[in-house]
Order: sequence, then structure tokens, then C-alpha cells
Amino acid sequence: METLALYVPRLLEKKENFAPGHRACSGCGEALAVRMVMKALGKNVIVVMATGCMEIISTQLPYTSWEVPWIHTLFENTAAVASGVVAGREALTRKGKASSRTKVVAMAGDGATADIGVQALSGALERGHDFTYICFDNEAYMNTGIQRSSATPFGAATTTQPVGKISMGQNTWKKDMPAIAVAHNIPYVATASPSYPFDLMNKVKKARDIEGPAYLHILSVCPTGWRTPSDLSVRIGRLAVETGVFPLYEVENGKYTLNIDPPQLRSVEDYLKLQGRFKHLTPEMIKEIQEKVEAKYAELVEKVLFYDGF
Amino acid sequence: MKRVGLESSLAIAEAVRLAGVDVVSAYPITPQTHIIERIAQMVADGDLNASYIPVESEHSAMSGCLGAAAMGVRTFTATAGQGLELMHEVLPVASAMRLPVVMAICNRALSSPLSIWGDHSDIMAARDSGWVQMFAENGQQAFDLTLCAFRIAEDVEVLLPTAINIDGFHLSHVIESVLIPEQGEVDKFLPELPRPYVLDPRKPLTMGDFATPELYIEAKKSQDVALRNSKKVILQAWQEFEGVFGRRYSPVETYRADGASVLLLTMGSFSEVAMEAIDRLRESGEKVGLIRLRLWRPFPFEEFRQVASQADLLVVLDRAVSFGGPGPVCSEVQAALYPLSKKPQVAGFIGGLGGRDITTEGFEDMIRNARKKADAGRLGEVEIIGVRE
Amino acid sequence: MSKLTEIRWHGRGGQGAVTSAEVMGLSAIEEGKFAQAFPSFGPERRGAPVLAFNRISDSEHIRMRSAVTQPDIVVVLDPGLLGIIDVTRGLKEGGVLIINSSKSLLDIKSEFEGPWTLAVVDATAIAMEVLKIPIVNTAMLGAMVKVTGVVKLESLAEPLGERFGKLAEKNIAACRRAYDEVSIAAQGAVSQRPEKTFGEVTWPSWQELLPGGVVTDAGNARSYRTGDWRSDRPIWDHDRCIKCGVCMLFCPEGCVEQNEQGYFEANYYYCKGCGICARECWTQAITMVEEAKA
Ligand SMILES: Cc1ncc(C[n+]2csc(CCOP(=O)(O)OP(=O)(O)O)c2C)c(N)n1
Ligand code: SF4
Repeated sequence: METLALYVPRLLEKKENFAPGHRACSGCGEALAVRMVMKALGKNVIVVMATGCMEIISTQLPYTSWEVPWIHTLFENTAAVASGVVAGREALTRKGKASSRTKVVAMAGDGATADIGVQALSGALERGHDFTYICFDNEAYMNTGIQRSSATPFGAATTTQPVGKISMGQNTWKKDMPAIAVAHNIPYVATASPSYPFDLMNKVKKARDIEGPAYLHILSVCPTGWRTPSDLSVRIGRLAVETGVFPLYEVENGKYTLNIDPPQLRSVEDYLKLQGRFKHLTPEMIKEIQEKVEAKYAELVEKVLFYDGF
Repeated sequence: MKRVGLESSLAIAEAVRLAGVDVVSAYPITPQTHIIERIAQMVADGDLNASYIPVESEHSAMSGCLGAAAMGVRTFTATAGQGLELMHEVLPVASAMRLPVVMAICNRALSSPLSIWGDHSDIMAARDSGWVQMFAENGQQAFDLTLCAFRIAEDVEVLLPTAINIDGFHLSHVIESVLIPEQGEVDKFLPELPRPYVLDPRKPLTMGDFATPELYIEAKKSQDVALRNSKKVILQAWQEFEGVFGRRYSPVETYRADGASVLLLTMGSFSEVAMEAIDRLRESGEKVGLIRLRLWRPFPFEEFRQVASQADLLVVLDRAVSFGGPGPVCSEVQAALYPLSKKPQVAGFIGGLGGRDITTEGFEDMIRNARKKADAGRLGEVEIIGVRE
Repeated sequence: MSKLTEIRWHGRGGQGAVTSAEVMGLSAIEEGKFAQAFPSFGPERRGAPVLAFNRISDSEHIRMRSAVTQPDIVVVLDPGLLGIIDVTRGLKEGGVLIINSSKSLLDIKSEFEGPWTLAVVDATAIAMEVLKIPIVNTAMLGAMVKVTGVVKLESLAEPLGERFGKLAEKNIAACRRAYDEVSIAAQGAVSQRPEKTFGEVTWPSWQELLPGGVVTDAGNARSYRTGDWRSDRPIWDHDRCIKCGVCMLFCPEGCVEQNEQGYFEANYYYCKGCGICARECWTQAITMVEEAKA
């Protein structure tokens, strides 16, 4: 349980493998998530990253925030580059020049994952490479200035699906990327949030230690794009879980587990009202979102119960 | 060394096997598919101890190569036409990140209309991607140049991706005799070379960073100098190759060019057809010769100027169209000649698109036609030859 | 050739310096002048120092498109920038320097007096009173118009209206107040430029770049200061601190460290002042204090 972690931070890995001096916005939830992920991964990893906020803010020549080997090439090909790195590691392992324990970890934003890079990701998951893929989902293309992605939630205002005289922002429901990952029959899929650090770090370690593809989907609050005060990033991430908007669960070899299961979900309004991107929502839209969240949550609980029955 | 009958595609696969490639990341497309099918079979049979990644697109094929090359292992892929186009975004990243991927391109026309047959449109559209680019004229060269490509690409002085172009079908699907060396000879020519910058947790480094205007141009200068300087290593590699295998390659090769007042310039498999035409014209007393451009990037300015400046008229065959402009090879050689005080006139032709054949007679006509145009002072325009009116 | 006035705005990402330049440019165009407005083209993020520029000409299309290096007017939106950036760099003799500061003209004079007209306005106070948020870009527009007269105060109204919609009125009010309250020091006899030294970045030459631009010095971003971005800093109250370390856990910079007594403190070289630590602290042992007052 998260609250038990209250006094644990002092037991936290002190080493920052994602060094300060990075240029993420003040209060960036995505940078916080990356920092925690890097703490959990340790040093025996190779990171492959997509173009996006985290790449731009961490590797401006001649500086780098990365304490581990790190490579970026393009926006949409991260999973494919990771496939090549895994193959390279295999080749070196055959020659006794590398360790098969070196984990390859691909990292990308929601745009790089759910939109432009979904083909490369699907290919890599399906081929079964031994790697971990982490999607840092800030629910829009933030690096280029808050354009919609297929992971942008219903009703959110973005610069390419703005609120206007005849539009109320995003008119589609968030693409369910973890479900798409699950459909590839991979050994491990999980959602996580930096507002639940120990849950997140445990999942990262699990993903790292599993052989074969693992997919992690981390909700990463973006104060700039969500139009929220920078000090609320952790709180808002917590509300996403407490309202059921972003449940934390794992799917291990097809078996679902809910990791944080609040006795009662809070109203989604508690989550929405703190965010500028939702400020135009009408009570009807909020109701619609409430119903959708409840329905999806119930679906998830059903899957969990189904497996509990065994 | 043994002499075997082998399709050029399979000769390339054989070179890949003998080179002991570690990772192949590839996607099928005609007329390249025979290469990767053969490699997949070699891996399946345990004849090649490589990881073969059957990726879901050419974009991912090249991306996979980047990842593997960044690990410091020997990396190969092959493609053609639309496949090279889909890779387009990734190609300049390979060179800019100095990742020595080797690729065979079975040159193919670009859609639309869809054509699976040969021409040079694909590679010309990728000309400026920063790769070392060379052309083979027959099966033996396809084999030899593939071996050389690894030697060149992986040299610490170079560290640049390298492409071997072979004409789709006209070369890729032709069986002819090829000399295949013993493994020991290949190993002598192609030792495993040290790689200074690789992804290794024991020595963490950051690759593929982001540059503001204060540094981007420095990065590009450094890349351009690296490609220009690669010629030294290319010459050295070809010299070593001759030492081991007895066959000699040069950036600009000629055929009966001595004392020629008219020179024809070709690239790829049509060069051998053109030789036939040169023989015939020489027999009838005409002072004609042939330039075969083997190395396309880095462009061999010196060698080219030395040969071409002798002639009065240079006839250039392009197998690609730069729509609304001159043929890509033609404009290149004209630019190379321009600073010289003594230089030939240049006649540009475009032909052999989408698999259309060019015969010896075709080359003879081209030369005659060029002479006529030169006499009439009409050399300014490009002409697409062999077109049905 | 007609006179060309070049303006440089200093602010932080998200503070509206770019908007100031836009409104200024549009106002000039509104008056029938020719103008350009442009940001420093870059990926600077919220909190990071940014620049924006104007060129204004009375009668001619402006062809100059290279960087503004010798401005006639410099406007500083964030007092916190004064200690970290050479805001007077390239400022022309006889130019104008306008600073947002709660300090008086007298206090600021010793530091920023030079061969130019110096003006000060407490735009943050005005913004807090009128707009209830510390966004000073519209107030600074008012001050700048008063001091320089590059455009008329009335000309700002329309672009401000367009830009701020429902909030236009308040922004115009802030603008007016700053117009009225700015204190201007007449250009004195001082010909000396203030002597300040700021860390200059030395960029590698092309030969010094490693192949492919690889960086072998892992984690060298540690030498890059992001503490400059901060406008508020966290201060710990040790009486309340239970040493749980939640602050350390949730810091996006990873810059909260535990000292020998077991208390936590931010490394201000990196701390961007996001306030997450203060918000998440169970015992509310952390308060965010305005940088200028810390
Ligand atoms: C092929 C291509 N198209 C578009 C872009 C421009 N681009 C760079 S990053 C980005 C958005 C990144 O969004 P996301 O993946 O969600 O990551 P975030 O920045 O939000 O963390 C876009 C559109 C690009 N670099 N390459
Ligand atoms: S735009 Fe959002 S995700 Fe990107 S650095 Fe800023 S806060 Fe982080």
C-alpha cells in the first residue's frame, strides 16, 4: 500500500540516473516519472527514446542528463530501434562481449506511442523482443505545443482540437493503449503514475526482470499542457487514480490485477475542475465523462474478478 | 576461391554470410527479396550466426539497423524503390549518427504508375542522405563491393553507412559466374574493427542529441568532412582488396578512354552494354570511350576531372528524372567540370526508366545524337530517349 | 531611411514576454507604422529565461530579419533575471532600460545606471492587485509606452482586447496603472556601462565534436543551472519536518537532498520552484517564498 511508504523515501535509491540540469518545465510530471523509472531500472540498461519533451529537455548538446547509455533517432521508430539494440545485445552476448541481463528500455510519449509509432510498437511487441516499452502519457503532443493525440481525453482542449464557437475540444474517447498492448499477448502490461511512486517503481522492476516484451503506460501530468499550477502535478495524478479516470493495474500473462482500488471512486469533477484544459466542460459533458469512466472501471473490475475466480 | 553460377542477389547474401554479419533487419520488396530470403535461410540453417529481425516496414528495417549498429555489431539490410523511399527519414540519421550500416539497394523505379523494374530514381532521391554510395556492374562486383562496404563503413576513420547499388532485375535476378573466396581470405580482408562509441552500460554515452543553432552547423560540417575524407579509406580498402583477391576497383573507371574525344558516362549494369557499343564504334574508327562512375558519394571530383577533361564531348546517361531540372548525374558532372578551363561540352540523356532496356544500338544512337546536338549548339536541353511518340 | 527602433523583452517561458512583443507590434501596425514581433526561436520551457523582440519603423517595410543585438529599448519583465542575465548587453547609448522591480529607482540606479534612460515600475504589485496573478506583460507594456512613446497608449487597447477577450478590461487597467506609476530617471551624465560578468557558454568547434555528436560525459547536465528559472523557492521549517522525505520523493528535478541532521533541503542550483514539495509535504513544513524576498 502506498501510504505505508510514508517513511520509506529514505530507503529510496539515492542515485539519480536522470541527472538534474534537465530543462523540463517547472513541475513536469513526465520528468518526475522518468526520474522514478530511472531509479528503479538501475544502471544496467540501455535507453532508447523517441523525439518528444523528454528527449529535448534532457540532451541539448553538449549536455546530457543520462547516466546510462541512451540513444534517440526519430519520433516514430523507437520500438524498432529498440528491436535493433536487443538484436545487437544478443549478437554481443553470443560472442561473450555483453550480458543478456542488460535491459533495453524504450521510452516515448503518447503521440510517439499511440499515433505515429503504433506500427513500430506493434511490430516489436508481436516479434517478442526482450525489452520494456514505457509510454509517458501526457495526453497530447506537448513538445510541439499541446496538439491533440489519440490519447487526449474526451473534452480536453488542445491547439488542434480547440474549444470554439462550435467545438468543445476533443470529441473522441482516449485510445486504450494498454489494451492494445495486452492484445499482443505479451507477458507484462501495467499502468502506473508517479503519484504512486512505489507502485510505479515496483512495476518498472517487474517489467525489467521479465523476459520478453513488457509494456508500461504511465500517466504523466503536464502542467503546461493541462493548464494546471505546477505544484499540483502529483495531486492531480493521484486524483486521476482516485476518480477511476486512470486506474492502476497490471496484466501478467493475461491475468488482471487492480493495484490501487479505492473503496469508492471520487467524482470525476474533482479531477477535471483543477485543469484549465477542461474548464469549458458543461455539466452534461462531465456527466458523460463520469458514466464512461464508471463503465470502463467496471469493465476492468470484471476482468480482475474473472481471474480471481480461478 | 571457387567459381560458381550465382544470382547477383544471392552473391550479395553470400558476401553477408562470409562477412559474418551479426544483425540483419529487413523487409521484403521486389526486386530485392531474394537477398533477404537467402539470408533468412542461412540463419535458419545455422550457416550464419546472426539475429534476423523480420520487421514490419522498411522504416523499421533501417531503424533496427541503427539500434544494432549503435551496439557496435556488423549490420546489414537490403531494399529497393518504395522501400528506400519509406526509409528516407531514417537514412540521414544513420550517417549523421555515424552508424556504419551496410545496405544493398536493388535499384527500382518509383510509383506511380507502380513499377517493380529497374532505374535509379530511388537512390537519386536518397543521394543527399550522407551515405557512401557505390554502383556495381555485374554479379562479381556486387559480391566484392558488399565485402568492401563493411571494410569501409566500419573503419574508425569513416564510420558511415554504405550502400551498394545493383540494378533491379538487370543485375539482381541474373545468374552469372562469380568467384567466391574462402572464409579465411575474407577474414584476412575483413577483420573485426574496434568501434569507439557504442551503447554499453560500462561506458554510458548519449547518442542522437538535440542541437541548437549554436552547434548544428558544426555537426554538419564534421559530418561532411567525414564523408569527403572517407575517400582515402575507400581507396585504401580497394587496394587491400586487390592485394587479397586480385581484383581492382577505382572511384572512376574507364573503358578505352585513352585519346577519346567523346566520352560516354554510365553507372551500374548498363556500363557493360555500353562497352559493347564503344567497341563497335572504335572498330569503325571513332575516338570514343567510356567513364563508369563507381563511387557516387563521396563524389570523386579529382579522378573524374582528370579523365573527363581530356574529351571534347561528354555524353551522360541518367536513369532518373529530376522533374523540371537536368538529370541528377548530368547536373553533378557539369558542376564538377565547371571550374576547369579546359572542359568538354556535356550532353545529357535520360533513359532506361522503369526497366526499359537500352541496347548497344541505343548507346550508339545516343553518342551520334549527342554529336549532332553539339554541332547544332543544342546541348542545353535534357532529352528522354527511347520514348514512343 | 526612416528610423528603426529595436526592442528586446526579457521574460520567462509562460510569463508572456512573447505576448508583450506581439501586442506592441500589432499596436504599431494599428497606428499605420511598420513592425515586426518575434520570439527567440527555441524550445525554452515554462520558467526558462526567454527573449522576444520588436522592430518598429515609422514609414518603411522592415527588411532586417537577423537577430536584434543592439536594441534601443530593453524591457525586463522578471526581476529575477537581473542577477543571471546581462540585460543591458548591446543596449544602445541613449537607449531605454525598463525594469519590473519592487525596488525604488534610487535603489536600482547604482546597479543599472548607464548611458541610457532608466525606468522602474513595480509591475508585479500592479498585476497582483489588478489581475490577481503575477503576469506582468500588460503592465510592462504600459510602462514602456510611457517611457518611450513608441506607440500611443490608446493604440494598445485594440490588440489587448483581441488578445485577452474577457480579461481585456483588467489587462488594460493594469497597463494604464503602470503607465501612470512608472518612475523614470532622466538620462544622467553616466557614460559607464554597468560592469557585470556572467558565465559565458563556450561552444565546441566542429573538430571538437565527437563523431555523431555523442556525449561521453554521462550526466554532465549537472553543470547546467536551472535554478535561474525559479521565481519562488521552497523553505523548510525544521520544527514541522518529520523527516519523511516525501519532498525528496516527488521532486521532478531530483534536487531535494537530505543533510547530515536528516533534514531535507533543495539544491537551489537546480530547483525550479515548482512547489510540488510544499504541496505534498504531510506536515506543511515547506513554504514557497518569493525569490526576490528570500
Ligand atoms: C515524423 C515527425 N513528425 C512530426 C514531428 C514533430 N514532433 C516532434 S515531438 C512531437 C510530439 C511529441 O508528442 P508525444 O509523443 O506525446 O510526447 P511529449 O512531447 O508530449 O512528451 C511532434 C509532433 C517529428 N519530430 N517527426
Ligand atoms: S510541456 Fe509538459 S511534458 Fe513537456 S516538459 Fe513541459 S510540463 Fe513536461
